[in-house]
Amino acid sequence: MKKFAIALTCCLNFTVQAQIPAGYPADYAATVAAAEKEGKVVVYSSTDSTSTKPLLADFQALYPKIKVEYHDMNTTEIYSRFISENAANAGTADVLWSSSMDLQVKLVSDGNALTYVSPEAGKLPDWALWKNEAYGTTFEPIVFVYNKRLLQADEIPLTHADFTRILGAKADRFRNKVNSYDVEKSGLGFMLVTQDAMVSPAYWDLAKAMGAVSSRYQSSTGTMMERISSGENLLGYNLLGAYAFVKAKKDPAIGIVYPKDYTLVISRVMFVAKKARNPNAAKLWLDYILSRRGQTVMANQADLFALRADVEGETTAAGLTKQLGAALKPVRIGPELLNMLDPAKRLEFLKQWQQTAVGKK
Amino acid sequence: MTRTAVDPARSLTILLTAAAVLLPLGLVAWQSLLSAPFFMPDKSIGLDAFRFIFDDADFAGAFKNSLLLACGMAIIAVPLGGVLAFLMVRTDLPGRTLIEPLVMVPIFLSPLVLGFGYVVATGPVGFYTLWAQSLLGLSEAPWNVYAYSSIVVIAGLTHVPHVYLYTSTALRSLPSDLEEAARCAGAKPWQVALHVSLPMVLPALLYAGVLVFFLGFEVFGLVLVLGDPEGHLVLPTYLYKLTNKLGTPSYHLMAAVAVCIVGVTLPLVMLQRLLLKSANKYASIGGKGGRQRPLPLGAWRWPAAGVIAAWLAFSIFVPLSGLILRSFVSGWGEGVHLLEVLTVEHFRDVADSQTALNAIVNTVLIGVVGGALTVACYAAIGLAAHRRNDGWTRLLDYLVMLPRAVPGLLAGLAFLWVFLFFPPLAPLRTTIFSVWLAYSVVWLAYGMRLVSSALLQVAPELEEAARISGANRARSTRDVTLPLIRYGLLGSWLLMFLIFEREYSTGVYLLGPGTEVVGSMLVSLWGSGALDQVAALAVINVALVCVGLGLALRFGINLRH
Amino acid sequence: MTPVLRVDELHLAYGRTPILKGVSFELTQGAVISLLGASGSGKTTLLRAIAGLESPTGGHIRINDRTVYDQAQGIELLPESRNLGLVFQSYALWPHRNVFDNIAYGLKLRQVSTGEIRLRVEQVLRQLGLADLAGRLPHQLSGGQQQRVALGRALVYNPPLILLDEPLSNLDAKLREEARAWLRELIVTLGLTALVVTHDQSEAMAMSDQILLLSEGRIEQQGTPQEMYAAPQSLYAAEFMGSNNRLAGVVAEITPGRARIEGLGWSVWGATTGKSAFTHGDHAVGLIRLERVGLAPGPGPNVLAARLSTSMYLGDHWEHLFQLGEITLRALSSNPLAEKDCWLALPENQLWVFKS
Repeated sequence: MKKFAIALTCCLNFTVQAQIPAGYPADYAATVAAAEKEGKVVVYSSTDSTSTKPLLADFQALYPKIKVEYHDMNTTEIYSRFISENAANAGTADVLWSSSMDLQVKLVSDGNALTYVSPEAGKLPDWALWKNEAYGTTFEPIVFVYNKRLLQADEIPLTHADFTRILGAKADRFRNKVNSYDVEKSGLGFMLVTQDAMVSPAYWDLAKAMGAVSSRYQSSTGTMMERISSGENLLGYNLLGAYAFVKAKKDPAIGIVYPKDYTLVISRVMFVAKKARNPNAAKLWLDYILSRRGQTVMANQADLFALRADVEGETTAAGLTKQLGAALKPVRIGPELLNMLDPAKRLEFLKQWQQTAVGKK
Repeated sequence: MTRTAVDPARSLTILLTAAAVLLPLGLVAWQSLLSAPFFMPDKSIGLDAFRFIFDDADFAGAFKNSLLLACGMAIIAVPLGGVLAFLMVRTDLPGRTLIEPLVMVPIFLSPLVLGFGYVVATGPVGFYTLWAQSLLGLSEAPWNVYAYSSIVVIAGLTHVPHVYLYTSTALRSLPSDLEEAARCAGAKPWQVALHVSLPMVLPALLYAGVLVFFLGFEVFGLVLVLGDPEGHLVLPTYLYKLTNKLGTPSYHLMAAVAVCIVGVTLPLVMLQRLLLKSANKYASIGGKGGRQRPLPLGAWRWPAAGVIAAWLAFSIFVPLSGLILRSFVSGWGEGVHLLEVLTVEHFRDVADSQTALNAIVNTVLIGVVGGALTVACYAAIGLAAHRRNDGWTRLLDYLVMLPRAVPGLLAGLAFLWVFLFFPPLAPLRTTIFSVWLAYSVVWLAYGMRLVSSALLQVAPELEEAARISGANRARSTRDVTLPLIRYGLLGSWLLMFLIFEREYSTGVYLLGPGTEVVGSMLVSLWGSGALDQVAALAVINVALVCVGLGLALRFGINLRH
Repeated sequence: MTPVLRVDELHLAYGRTPILKGVSFELTQGAVISLLGASGSGKTTLLRAIAGLESPTGGHIRINDRTVYDQAQGIELLPESRNLGLVFQSYALWPHRNVFDNIAYGLKLRQVSTGEIRLRVEQVLRQLGLADLAGRLPHQLSGGQQQRVALGRALVYNPPLILLDEPLSNLDAKLREEARAWLRELIVTLGLTALVVTHDQSEAMAMSDQILLLSEGRIEQQGTPQEMYAAPQSLYAAEFMGSNNRLAGVVAEITPGRARIEGLGWSVWGATTGKSAFTHGDHAVGLIRLERVGLAPGPGPNVLAARLSTSMYLGDHWEHLFQLGEITLRALSSNPLAEKDCWLALPENQLWVFKS
């Protein structure tokens, strides 16, 4: 009887072990087992559920016993909901996945994240990992978008300096026809221009040029692209490359420029909540998103840009690096992002932005 | 049974209503006095939040704009809504049954989508703009839909259905003899409307005006889409800025703004009560059934139809056509030839999406079932105030109006906090009950008005007769009052259904996967930039609701005769 | 025998405005009492207070020895517990129920069996001449039919007392005359005890055994119709109860039970009633019913010369208008008058003198 029991246990172990991805430590099996006991993982994410569907389906195939409860909301909602629920010790997310890098870093720096060394951590570039708590998951370029139908070849800026120059030279042509993020309304937009100012002091010239042509500032990439596509606006600054890429596939009017002097790259940050009720399932999800398999699905089916260097495709870090090389400037996930969350500094920057980019006195 | 001082059913209703309204509002007020989220340990009490917003030039500008918008909306919507109601309910206007479901469209159309429709139709490179330009040979667009005046006009015109709903309910029970007397004296139909019918329903018009004014402070999606290009800010979009301005969302500032809005709207409620006290000209369903005959319009038929057609065209046809066209094209605007870009792939995308279909089903369920429950609660509250003119009724009047003074962006948060931090409610947070409660409380004033105006029209003698016959108060309510207000209840149910259809911000923190509704789907698609799918989903939604509305109204009309 | 209704010192005020200022009366079994008065006199409020629809502020009300209201003891029964019938002025028929259900409601509430409900309702319908209308809705009935349904609804559960609020005021004049006869007969035949509110004195006199004349929240005078008509105690009562000639003048002479008043060009003796004491020079009013003014062949005591200004034909009699200086006098006759100048006889014992 005892021999039979041992044999059975070995078989079971073997079956369980068969599920662990290759190269993972042996004790990962325990995590998987614990996760399966937990049965579900609650994710608060700003990536819309339509894009994520292939990832969810693939994860389900990988771990059939674990259900993903995927809450799709915007970055502010994620932040507010999480801190409120946390403070009330109520059930909240196990994993937070948001494109608002600074808010995610703040949450991590406030001690809300579980320290966890993912087996995939080694495959990530060093800017995409902080304290083994905050993980970057995507590699999304920030681009210029223009209306292919209506712009001449010499009106398409290829660098930031180009952008400033063209707006200056053809001010009448571009009056009211340039758009970008309203950095007061969009946290992401704000972060992007602060990164611009850090990378290149010439940003302020660009901002002034935009102000001079009465640029139209809006709150979301979607509306900006819609207006560029229709011709109401001709040129857009600092749009999310991932969305532009998807739209350009269907809409021949959309043209994308990856600026040659420097292209900012953002990454959607993911962390596991320290007080997560399903920590093991959360770890499985994180590891899946960071794994080669997950990143491949991301790049090829999910309309997202993959981060890992070993994933091939157009919408991957590898593909973009081939195109742009050193021009790519990823935003480092780290405490520096907290600087511009300081209200005083923020308001000062905003004032400067108002005075240049909007032309307010 | 002796007359007791306390009626337990009434007391319970008032208590629950007060709790449902004052808990979230109290949290907001408390939050406005703090320097950090109220659930954080390190916070201090003070008026810094108010100091900040009063110093902020954006706040002053947004406040002024909101005030302008609210006034403009009331000024535009009330007269038009009254006239529309008169024409539809009191006259023999041709095609009334077809027009009625169309009139309700702006109510359930998500404002984001509505604004988007206007951009596609009448924006700088919109369909109609380009056609008008080529027709008239102009180099520039003949109008600017992004000008603040355009926004005010659009907001005003699209809120006509609210005024229409309240006024038409009141007009339905007017006996015809008053109008016929005016016709005999020589009054033309527009004079009858102006001098007889509409003054008779002055309370309804006043109330509708106040409600539309409140909505003026709440308008978000429309101004986001149409106001952003030229930088017009209103209080809700200012609140939107406050979620990012200081880095992390600044709840105390948002709460301070909400407190200011309540401060403005509260005197309005008092003013409205003052005005209504002197307007005791309610028409009653008295002991004798008054005959109602539609007023013949005669030669005025065509101008009247013209007015309605113009309103329908501008408020419904223009944005809807923009939306419909957008849902069928892969690209639009300057330099695009329409026929080359027609496609049905957006509809296919939506139909493929299981979430979209779920959302539609969920929305209908919430609207129908949730709406019915909501109306039952509103009826209970209405009855608690019915025929009793004491301090409790006054309290209920104010309680009912308060919730809508808090813009949706903050209301959603406030309800999340209520369900998180009040132990008895905590287990209900993750259920659909929390969403239902949030919706029902926020729209209290709107749904309840239809119920209370129906209650006002029941002659007290009918209830007294039941009491004399031996029925106690509850029995009399059940046997006499409720059957007589059933059209008010049905109307309220319809309105709540339409409102729940498009609601989003109030429930956003309480919704979850599996309970997504059309409103949240639209916003999610919007956020990911898939505006073509937004258009397709919105068109499907409109079509479904219109069909449902048409059926409901036809059925309702049959019931009435 | 215990009175069916007993009202003692009933006071009712809205806030600080007193409406009823101490009303007391009794209603015996089988009697019909009219509460008569002008609008604002408080008669409808009194009726509603008895029904329980208004809250008095003082006094007590007993129905058949059962206290329904007693301010001192803090008792106030709710309307549904008083077991009264009330016919509203507007009839207040429930528009969503047919005639049968309107009438049956009271029985349903008293949990009478369905079979018995049908029997009793049909009986009432027959009694009131509504037998064919059981299935109709109120808006399909005429005014008179609606009134009968309202009555049936109040009667069907045999309350000890029925209250009627202006039962005939909504009917047209011809119908009103027929209806008051019919109503009186019905009440008597069924042995009902009824309290009727009306502003019409001829209606009150025709229908009731006792009349309570109310003025400003108090009972001005109470009595049988004959007493009220022939022996009014006050100017108000006298003026209210019939059509009168009014001679405003000044008291010239006083003897026990009589006084002489005079005005410009006229002087008459009249009977002094009531408790008012007269002194020379008091302003007074002489009141005499129209039908008591006769035509005299020539001058005499209490005979005045007057000039005929116009005559009105009212079918069964003529009404003549006379001018005497500034005074207008009216008189009735069966035939038209030939002469313009007439002598009008105002019999002393028919002319009442009141202080004005």
